[in-house]
Amino acid sequence: MRPTTRLRQLLAAPGIVVAPGAYDGFSARLVEAAGYQACYMTGAGTAASHLGQPDLGLATLTEMADHARHLAAAISLPLIADADTGYGNALNVVRTVREYERAGVAGLHLEDQVAPKKCGHIAGKQVIPAKEFAEKVRAASEHRTDDDFVIIARTDARAVTGLDDAIERGNRYAEAGADLIFVEAPQSLEEIERVTREVKAPLLANMVAGGRTPAVTVKELDRLGFKLVIFPGVCMAAAIPAIEAALERLRTAGTDWPVGPGGGPVLGPMDIFKKVGYDWWHAIEQRYTEAP
Amino acid sequence: MTALAPRASTRLRALLARGEPLVAPGCYNALTARLLERAGFEALYMTGYGTSLGLLGMPDAGLATATEMHLNARYIANAVAAPLIADADNGYGNAINALRTVREYAQTGVAGIHLEDQVVPKRCGHVAGREVVPIAEAVGKIRAADSARCAVDPDFVLIARTDARGAHGGSLDEAIRRANAYLDAGADMAFVEGPTSVDELRRIRREVKGPILYNQTGVSPRLGLPELRDLGVAVVILPGLALRATIKAVYDLAVALRTEGPLAEQAFDQGFRGHPLANVHAFAGFDQVREWERDFLPPEALDKYEGTVGYRPTAASPSADQKDDAR
Repeated sequence: MRPTTRLRQLLAAPGIVVAPGAYDGFSARLVEAAGYQACYMTGAGTAASHLGQPDLGLATLTEMADHARHLAAAISLPLIADADTGYGNALNVVRTVREYERAGVAGLHLEDQVAPKKCGHIAGKQVIPAKEFAEKVRAASEHRTDDDFVIIARTDARAVTGLDDAIERGNRYAEAGADLIFVEAPQSLEEIERVTREVKAPLLANMVAGGRTPAVTVKELDRLGFKLVIFPGVCMAAAIPAIEAALERLRTAGTDWPVGPGGGPVLGPMDIFKKVGYDWWHAIEQRYTEAP
Repeated sequence: MTALAPRASTRLRALLARGEPLVAPGCYNALTARLLERAGFEALYMTGYGTSLGLLGMPDAGLATATEMHLNARYIANAVAAPLIADADNGYGNAINALRTVREYAQTGVAGIHLEDQVVPKRCGHVAGREVVPIAEAVGKIRAADSARCAVDPDFVLIARTDARGAHGGSLDEAIRRANAYLDAGADMAFVEGPTSVDELRRIRREVKGPILYNQTGVSPRLGLPELRDLGVAVVILPGLALRATIKAVYDLAVALRTEGPLAEQAFDQGFRGHPLANVHAFAGFDQVREWERDFLPPEALDKYEGTVGYRPTAASPSADQKDDAR
């Protein structure tokens, strides 16, 4: 089954779909191994891990689509990928949809920020006129070659023109052809509830620990009626302190073998390979390699 | 031991220092770059229009990404020794993106780039409907580009292009004002896009306080070397040269093949006979590979040539051993 069709099925079934955010092929594998039904490719994490740069609109369409291709190829879960502003005007959006479709992505989200964009949870964002973005959404929905490809329209208007405008934009983008609406960074539970009441379309919730939106659990988001929730930072936020701690241990211990109290078990090369599909490849090797 | 060849940027600066108009014809890929170099040009230009059409099959409407553009520039720069000036459009975003663009291009081995003041996404400088960003914003981008260039390679040539002459609400006065502002902001050379007469070009030369690049294409007048010299043009680019020649030659041959059948290629080959590049395998570099095989592989590795059919590359230069024998 195509990942797009699989994602449509998940969205059509009752209940909320949880898509933890992966930032590379490795973390995408871990999301799948943990038993989630869908995976999300974070743009902020792509800029950070792939380029070593902040989420300031530096990653190009080519870099984002290549990264998405690697993630999509590493897992069998449907991948929802961040496509920022669509990297320009409606023409660029059409190209973006095509590139992401061919990358094996199941769906993407496009936002109404001015290009180059900024992370949704930092200051200084600007939005383009709603009419212009509605045309970009229409271009995206009319130019997908796979009807099941999911198009999610994100509005960043809450932090720029306020919640009323964000809700109005959400409804407008749904009319323009978006399958889901993503109102970025509501600032309270009351705001979240207003979004669920007033936006007349399936909704995506974006949960970012340390961001502008308060913590709401999956269970609560499901009760509020959200169809999809993404946790873009979950893997990267876990990885960074773990890597920092390991580097500090290396400095103090002079070895990366676990020694002394709190050293923990050794994660050897084969343990790591097994996390990224070794058994599957080994079975193929066995099957197609002549016995000596 | 031979000294390392200077960087392409340093060599481009040396060519510019001669004070003669530097003619940089446009290539759109590594093959056309090699053809232009073989014809004797000392500097080359990578066209964005041709990259978009040649690499993606798409028009020059801001669809090619920074990654695609500098990847193409890398392939070209690695295929030729002549310094390459590459189109970097509007730097693919704001000043921050322009800064990254300069760093990426400088790492490809190109000698210099031009950055323009069009909005994102841009369009071809000779197609109507262009818009420019405010001058202060464009100056900020040039300053960012200059700082990136100074950090990675001070010789990297930074050319500031303004599209204000033919843009919506623009004029030649505005274009000249902008060109001077960009030179003050750190650009090495100014590129006023789209003058429509020699008089306009003369005004640009007189009023722009720095070296100028002239884009001899589209709506702009066609001039010979003596006129360009009199005008004091530092660089003249002919971006569409290889692209247009390819389009015409390939299309005409394809139509002949379609109408006359498969033997039309043979007729073409007959006309190709005696041409300096008729030995395409040699031009491609198989002889060089044969030389490397002789110099660096065990002798038995060359047994593969015995009794096989096809072009037999010959090592052009004598081996190190043969050179020793001669001495």
